[in-house]
Amino acid sequence: MQQQGVENRQGDGSQEPLDGERKEILSVKGLYKKYSRKADWAVTDVSFSCYEGEIVGLLGHNGAGKSTTLKCIEGMIPFEKGSIAIDGHDVQKEADKAKANMGFVTDNHATFIKMTGLQYISFMADVYGVSTEQRVSYLKELEEVFQLGKPIENLISSYSHGMRQKICMMGSLIHHPKLWILDEPMTGLDPRTMHAVATFMHSYVAEGNTILFSSHALNTVSKLCDRVVLIRKGKQVSELDVKRIYAETPDFDFEEYFLRNEEQEE
Amino acid sequence: MKNRKNNGPVGEAGESSVRRGREKINFRTVKALLRKEFEEKRSVFKTGQFDIVGFILRIVLIGAMIALFVVFFGRFTGVYMAVKTDGRTDIFSRATELLTIFYTAVIIGMVVSGVNSLGAELFNSDDMKIYSALPINEKTLFIAKLISIYKSQFAIALVTVFTVNITFAIKVPVTFAFWAFTLVICFLLPLMAIAIASALILPYQVIKRFLRERYILMFIVVTALLGVAFWLYSMILGGVKQMMLGDAIRYFFNEKVMTTIGNVCAWLYPARWYANIMTGSDPIFSWFWLLGVAAVCILFSLLIIKSILRRALQARNEGVSSSILRSTRLTRKCGKFATLLRKEFLLIFRTPSYMFSYLSVALIMPLMVYSCMELGASIVQNLVGLNIYLEIALFLTILFGALTNIFCATNISRDGIMFYSVKALPINYKDIFFSKIVLCLIVNVLSQTVSAIILGVTGYIGAWDAIFVFVVGMLFSFVNIAVATRYDFNHVKFSTEEDGEIKESSNTVSAIIVMGIVLSFAVGGLVFVLKVLSQLRGFAYGPLTYVLAGGFAVIAAALSAFYLLFRLDRKYYEFSGGEL
Repeated sequence: MQQQGVENRQGDGSQEPLDGERKEILSVKGLYKKYSRKADWAVTDVSFSCYEGEIVGLLGHNGAGKSTTLKCIEGMIPFEKGSIAIDGHDVQKEADKAKANMGFVTDNHATFIKMTGLQYISFMADVYGVSTEQRVSYLKELEEVFQLGKPIENLISSYSHGMRQKICMMGSLIHHPKLWILDEPMTGLDPRTMHAVATFMHSYVAEGNTILFSSHALNTVSKLCDRVVLIRKGKQVSELDVKRIYAETPDFDFEEYFLRNEEQEE
Repeated sequence: MKNRKNNGPVGEAGESSVRRGREKINFRTVKALLRKEFEEKRSVFKTGQFDIVGFILRIVLIGAMIALFVVFFGRFTGVYMAVKTDGRTDIFSRATELLTIFYTAVIIGMVVSGVNSLGAELFNSDDMKIYSALPINEKTLFIAKLISIYKSQFAIALVTVFTVNITFAIKVPVTFAFWAFTLVICFLLPLMAIAIASALILPYQVIKRFLRERYILMFIVVTALLGVAFWLYSMILGGVKQMMLGDAIRYFFNEKVMTTIGNVCAWLYPARWYANIMTGSDPIFSWFWLLGVAAVCILFSLLIIKSILRRALQARNEGVSSSILRSTRLTRKCGKFATLLRKEFLLIFRTPSYMFSYLSVALIMPLMVYSCMELGASIVQNLVGLNIYLEIALFLTILFGALTNIFCATNISRDGIMFYSVKALPINYKDIFFSKIVLCLIVNVLSQTVSAIILGVTGYIGAWDAIFVFVVGMLFSFVNIAVATRYDFNHVKFSTEEDGEIKESSNTVSAIIVMGIVLSFAVGGLVFVLKVLSQLRGFAYGPLTYVLAGGFAVIAAALSAFYLLFRLDRKYYEFSGGEL
């Protein structure tokens, strides 16, 4: 069933920009990834774009290929076919330039736990070349959002799961990246911080930045995203303009659509 | 059925259950827990992760240590038995004293290892988190843990006591009872060691907790302890050397010294009782006391360990504890390379096992080189009558440099999952690898400079030779660091520990140990042998040491640099391994 605002995957992987005037920040074209020669494809022919000022969600079940796609975008793992560009820079050919425009938070919230929160932020700021003055003012802004408080001065090894997630988010934002990528960002956060993060995400894209995040939580995705890319068994099955759908059909049941789509695929 | 009603599925009481208050020890669960532990150890063989090189190395090392002990202790036993007091030999007293001293040493060693085992099993074991959530009662868990600790202690007792007793029996005629009692002692010794260890475990944990995050203090304490341990070791080696090279040891054991030894040994309980039993001196009295003390020890350790088990379970479940270390401000902007270097240092300095195995060892290395230089030079002088200082200095510098840099075989693996996160940052692969290598080189420069200065100042080698030893030592250190880093990257296996800490030896580490030892023997050993031969045979040697050692060092450094850099960029960007 074709709904308004829902685009089925094009064979060539190309997508028309939703707004021709907006700049393309992330371009993923025909992405293929497998973990070993004998293994099955983890990701097959995934193509989508993210434009400035929007929040895009990567939606799918556990093991659908969301994290693999994100890891390919972030340059953590190589991919077999396709191309990825961040702000016009190819992640393979101009890795450093592409990565300089991106901030990321992994699903396992990996950090250097033998550093204090402030040392970790300083490390990230140094890596992204943030000046001493800028890092101080950016950190002030981030502290207001994430409310980590005094523990930012302590070793990360003493942090709880949620606190680690917060410091990862703060570290990934210390250079004000054009593209902010998050893998399952809301997992482990308390409701208050979830709300603060959601509000921050909206204000961040309002400044012209872009957010791409993966999730299997339909509620989170439907509330946060402008667009959603559905991935199933490593394949991109459809793309939804969530904003447009809700504007045109306020009682659109995202969960029902997702489950029905899945049944049809099967 | 009645029993089943009181317990959950795992706690189902079988016929072997024993009623103790409200809770029962379920021996079926004890058996299951021990089986699980055995299967875990066996799984290493199944998954193909068995470190065969490391295993052979350990066997060779233990074998060599036992052989060395047998030779020296055998010889010492002969010398000691011949010591005269009041103008006559007293084999009976000497044998009792000797065994008392060695059993005391064995007990001390077992207490240290017991504290370690108790700490590992009760406070640091991850399975405690799981067990506390399962329907396994504390008594059952306690018995399983105690059996596990006892097993390892019994193995240590078997190896050490039998080594001592076999060596002793070579020099002194013994009866069948001696061997029967040896076995009994192997069963009893761990009980006492565990009892003493269980009394020490809480103070040990308190000290450990106090030192946690006080990294500078911890570094000073650990390095000082290592230094003292090595100093004692070198003193013993010095004594052994004296014993091997002359009769000086006989004169050491004069009437006054022997009286002191006799008085001290008379009070070295419980080792004295063991020695009495073995030599047949007052055996009934000794058996009575020994069995009595063993019974008290069993009760004592049962009470102590049981009382700390609940605390240990709680400690594991509470998980993270508050941090006392603080940094109050962001650092000033610095370059990527410098920040990577700082990160690398912090990660090593703030991980106690890494701090010990690299920084402390590197700091103590000059002491090791100097002690071995003193020992080696005098042995060579006594054996072949030659002063071959430069070659020995080269050999020791390369060898200890290689042993220090074994740590570099985890340069990549110890990053754990963060390796991928760093890969996603805008950092060039060269910065990532070179920051690790440069930090290791800085550590080596410090320790090798001090080593060379000490060798120069103490007059073993001249100033220019000291510089030469430093340069060659540094080149070989670079070889070790570069090869270890690249080899680790090629065979990387990330830790599954939460903090990414690598706690087990791997094939990579073992391979680097072998390479380091082979390299130091090939180069240091070669120039040493050539120098000895030239002196003994009288052929012209000239500057062969400089040419050979210098030449090898330059070639090896060039080859290792090539090995490190060969397709490193491609390998780095295509990397997706690590068995995470």
